[in-house]
Amino acid sequence: MLFTWFMLTGFIFLFAPQNLTSKFQLAFVHVFRWPLTIGGNLVMTAQTQQPLTGVVGRSETQYLNYIANLEETLAQERKKFKKLSELYNTYNTYVWEGTDFALADVITKAVEGSRTELTIACRKTTGLAKGQFVLGDESIIGTISDVFPQISKATVKLVTDPTSIIPVKIAEFKNIMKGSGNNSAKIEMVKNKIEVGQNVFALKNPGFLDAPMIVGKVSECNRNQKNPSIWDITVVPACNIEQLEDVAVIIMNTQK
Amino acid sequence: MRWFRFALLILAVTVLQKGLLARWSSKPDLLVILLVFFAIYYNTSDAIISSFTIGFAADLVGSPMAMGPQMISFGLFGTLLAYLHRVIAIKRMPYQALAIFVTSVLAGAMTHLLAYITKGEPVAANIYTVVFVTSLYSSIVGPFLFLPSAWWMRIKINRFGRH
Repeated sequence: MLFTWFMLTGFIFLFAPQNLTSKFQLAFVHVFRWPLTIGGNLVMTAQTQQPLTGVVGRSETQYLNYIANLEETLAQERKKFKKLSELYNTYNTYVWEGTDFALADVITKAVEGSRTELTIACRKTTGLAKGQFVLGDESIIGTISDVFPQISKATVKLVTDPTSIIPVKIAEFKNIMKGSGNNSAKIEMVKNKIEVGQNVFALKNPGFLDAPMIVGKVSECNRNQKNPSIWDITVVPACNIEQLEDVAVIIMNTQK
Repeated sequence: MRWFRFALLILAVTVLQKGLLARWSSKPDLLVILLVFFAIYYNTSDAIISSFTIGFAADLVGSPMAMGPQMISFGLFGTLLAYLHRVIAIKRMPYQALAIFVTSVLAGAMTHLLAYITKGEPVAANIYTVVFVTSLYSSIVGPFLFLPSAWWMRIKINRFGRH
């Protein structure tokens, strides 16, 4: 009888709406935030090693991503100016006008395994919504999947999550990038070979992203097994998500 | 069964699993180890209650996966293990390691299957590797954690005894 009652409880949880049961999970993380954070910091301290020669440090990665974003934004703006030169105001090129950024601390991370997400504590939840892009070290790392304004928390679905689908651009080719769950994502059936190390940019998305931003770098480019004339590309995030301690959420069209 | 000590132990292990161990890609599942411990060293009723409770704790820290699959999987296999222990004594360390490995593989497989069927949770390409490696690490580490667990729960581990 005991077994039956417990199984029934389990099935109730299983078939209950996920937005209801996820509150239990968030409540646990909220209550035990301090020990969870302490544990994570201990691991990061233990894993920190003296940097090897040739390995790019975090601040340099951030700087390089910032430069890549600026170059891509500049290229986009130059194209616009050529097409609309008679209407374009060269003294008004504020791509990010009307944009706000909400800073947030990372509480828990699930980077490896079947699902990848972050739980973040936002200093302000006003304006946060599902689908908003999240930045880490000046690169896109994911999108907001759920917001809990009562406890100032939100969950971020990483670009490497198997359910993540993001339109991206490599060189001049647009395609769809899907997460593959192993701290990487895949862009399949690309017609041209792409060089390893090439930057991958998330495309503009009205209401969420006003200019392309770097989301990853090409780590592998292999021929498709079923059709050798096309290529499958593996992309890794542009920043080391495991080392992130804080992120920024892009909030478009805020009232200032 | 000392339920207060049980609650503290599960809480501590859950926080450890979600905090300290979550940062590692390959890690043992401490909750499965505890599941086997309570299934072996306690009577059937206590084993059932503790199995489902441990499964609930695993669900709490299983985000982004929905709640339910781990509670059902842990409860089911913990109960089966408790009944099996009535017939086949699982007292020696190699048998304990084998029990942990098998339980971890089966519980992991059932969890992802339930999540896939009921919630449409996607199955990552490396899921088999993740489940296997986790089960392997758990089976290696697990038997050594039985002694400190028994000390905390104030029980004596002997070859033929049961509490």
